[in-house]
Amino acid sequence: MQILSIIRKRLVFLVFVVFGVSVITFTVSHLIPGDPARLVAGERASEEIVEAMRERLGLDQPVYIQYWRYVRNLLSGDLGVSIRTGRPVLDDIRTFFPATIELGVAALLISIAFGVPLGVLSAVYRDGWIDQIGRTLAVTGISTPAFWLGLLLIVFFYGRLDLFPAGGRIATAIGVPPHVTGFYLIDSLIWGNGEAFLSVLRHLALPAFTLGFVHMGVVARQIRSAMLETLREDFVRTAKANGLSRGQVIFGHALPNALIPSVTVLGLAFGDLLYGAVLTETVFAWPGMGAYVVASIQALDFPAVMGFTVVVSIAYVLVNLVVDLTYLILDPRIRDVG
Amino acid sequence: MELPTKRIAGRLATAAMIAAGLSMPAFADPTVLVVAKAQDPTSLDPAVTMTNNDWTVIYPTYQRLVRYQVEDGIGQTTVEGELAKSWTASADGKTWTFELESGHKFDDGTPVTAAAVKYSFDRLMAMKQGPAEVFPTLASVEVVDDDTVVFNLSDAFAPFIYSLSTAGSAIINPAVAEKAKDGDMGQAWLSGHSAGSGAYRVASWEKGQSLILETNPHYGGEKPALSKVIIKMIGEASARRLQLVSGDVDIAESLPVDQLDAISTNPDIEVQSHPSLQVTYLYLNNERPPLDDPDVRAAIAYAIDYAGIIDGILLGNGTQMRGPIPEGMWGHDPSLKQYSRDVEAAKALLSDKDVRELGYLYATTDPNWEPIGLTVQANLADLGIEVEMQNLAYATMRERLDRGEFDIAAGNWTPDFSDPFMFMNYWFDSSRHGLAGNRSFYTNETVDALIREAALLSDQEDREALYREAQKIVVDDNVYVYLFQKNERIALRKSVEGYVYNPMLLQIYNFASMSKSE
Repeated sequence: MQILSIIRKRLVFLVFVVFGVSVITFTVSHLIPGDPARLVAGERASEEIVEAMRERLGLDQPVYIQYWRYVRNLLSGDLGVSIRTGRPVLDDIRTFFPATIELGVAALLISIAFGVPLGVLSAVYRDGWIDQIGRTLAVTGISTPAFWLGLLLIVFFYGRLDLFPAGGRIATAIGVPPHVTGFYLIDSLIWGNGEAFLSVLRHLALPAFTLGFVHMGVVARQIRSAMLETLREDFVRTAKANGLSRGQVIFGHALPNALIPSVTVLGLAFGDLLYGAVLTETVFAWPGMGAYVVASIQALDFPAVMGFTVVVSIAYVLVNLVVDLTYLILDPRIRDVG
Repeated sequence: MELPTKRIAGRLATAAMIAAGLSMPAFADPTVLVVAKAQDPTSLDPAVTMTNNDWTVIYPTYQRLVRYQVEDGIGQTTVEGELAKSWTASADGKTWTFELESGHKFDDGTPVTAAAVKYSFDRLMAMKQGPAEVFPTLASVEVVDDDTVVFNLSDAFAPFIYSLSTAGSAIINPAVAEKAKDGDMGQAWLSGHSAGSGAYRVASWEKGQSLILETNPHYGGEKPALSKVIIKMIGEASARRLQLVSGDVDIAESLPVDQLDAISTNPDIEVQSHPSLQVTYLYLNNERPPLDDPDVRAAIAYAIDYAGIIDGILLGNGTQMRGPIPEGMWGHDPSLKQYSRDVEAAKALLSDKDVRELGYLYATTDPNWEPIGLTVQANLADLGIEVEMQNLAYATMRERLDRGEFDIAAGNWTPDFSDPFMFMNYWFDSSRHGLAGNRSFYTNETVDALIREAALLSDQEDREALYREAQKIVVDDNVYVYLFQKNERIALRKSVEGYVYNPMLLQIYNFASMSKSE
């Protein structure tokens, strides 16, 4: 089966990616000058206290031993203990990562929901007023700094209209849904608390729109150019000549073909969304990985930074795997060969 | 068959109706106080953390043997008993005996006993992390009876009684020992929970979102007016400000100067401004030419435009320092020489020297350090000295500081306990060269002798006299350039009542004696 062979290949590839990423991150984090032990102990701490801290963190060992220990623990699923928070890195990631994914997925859906129609319309009415508006919106989206747009939305929708909350994932008065998946939208449904679900949606709206708007431009431009290309293809002309309606031509024949190259862009965009979430998370007090990683980097907390990098690279490989599998579904040529 | 989606849709519809009718209510409840913080706390274990951001939670959830006094609603740097009813020190200053006040209880209802005091300090010293640093000579703690506990010091340490008021000196419920895992002395558990006898206890903590304090049902003191304190984490300053203005937040921390100025005219908000003990000063490398020459250092002290820095960079929210001990800390000497800009005097000092270039080492950790450097650059240019701005990441900057690889460097300092020891002994003792405190790498045997003696004596007047003498010497030697004491500005809604500012307790609130009107 072709699907299985792709999955198998990717999983083997994943091992190499994680190994490479861990070596690079480990090396870089150990090349950076600065002593995490002193940072934890307080900068005025006596050498004796700093030394005790170094020993506790295992920093007194040679680097290759530190790395060997790290890999050994990694293989058993242990990402180590954060120097800054003193908690297992895996626990921290479990706390913060779902928030980032939830925001990222919501933003991706928003960028698709607005970007795809915008791209299609721009291509169909090429150089018309819709295309002009589409182009302007796309350029605005790409060039708008997320933190600025975020602040603007907060000032307007929270400060002026009081329609949406200014930040956070759920109203403090409601409390947090019992942890099942870490995704509040899902957890609040499992909880069966409609008020909580709605509060989560309201909290998600502005940050997801902010992050999604920025990527909407990318999606719209990609769809537009792919559509323009497909609309020139012979099979589109044949379809038209066979008397199919305009809608059938566009949505039944042109769009599915235009989506194939766009899926790659969406896969890449998802990586971008995770990465770009940092600023959006800060503006909206969104308790995701962004704030956690920035604080960890500043504290030279390399177990946390490495843990994050490893998890993100795994996620990235998996997303690309999903992209490849999506090709199989979208493109019968690939599916049927092999 | 009813699909689950149908049920969900039903719930959604109900929820939508609720939403259409009303937006989320703000915390109008006068027994709930909301504080907005810029950063999530890291650890709530008193024996681990060294940051004020964590102490916001630790201080009100625990009690200590002593606490800072409050006089006429103003926080003092002197201390009085909290869990301790009284104490005595032996003549040699090595043995301290404390009598505990009865009636104090941990949040599980067990009484605070001498054994708990011993447990807490044994744990602190065994864990040997940052907070243990303020007890350099603590040898052992003995339980005499339930209400009497003795501290044995290997050497007299005059600031001892003051160091007992630090967050690390919190008395912890010995029941924590049961939560220990892999010999961590309960560290993992205590980093996310509280186990104290303070007025509050940690009810919940959603990392990165909010931390909720509720009253300790067994608290020995008067029942607090605030039944709940919600600490919200809001990273972006403008968002903190907006929520303060709209009333969703009662106190907003860490607002930049421009935001504070903007909201100071809002009728619902009060921006308090208090002198703090946080000082900003310049390290001059006393070991490296040309700054090993006292005349060159004096010339720099004369060249700096102190008033310009305070007015231009702090927008007036600060006071020029006078010597190393800041105003508001006992031991401060108001008769000490204070420098002001005098280019002629500076030029005269340099007339026979050849100083052309100096480096200014800084990081952007404190946004003031760069404009201060630019001022220094302009000021020294008047003396024909070219200053090179050396901007490094803070971690790297500190390595350079520790190794003495700099000419001039920017620095901030806040005392851990309210004793001039925190300034004089840390900054000038030749055994603390580098990051440990003596960051100008100054060595003077007379000063060493004076400050070391001051650290041993228990009589405060004798100590003050010694510190006064030492201060004169170091000011004449221009070991550092003393810039300013920053004002601490805090923004709260006018409905918040009873907040007492204490320069030793930045980001720490007296929740138990605060209230909200309406």
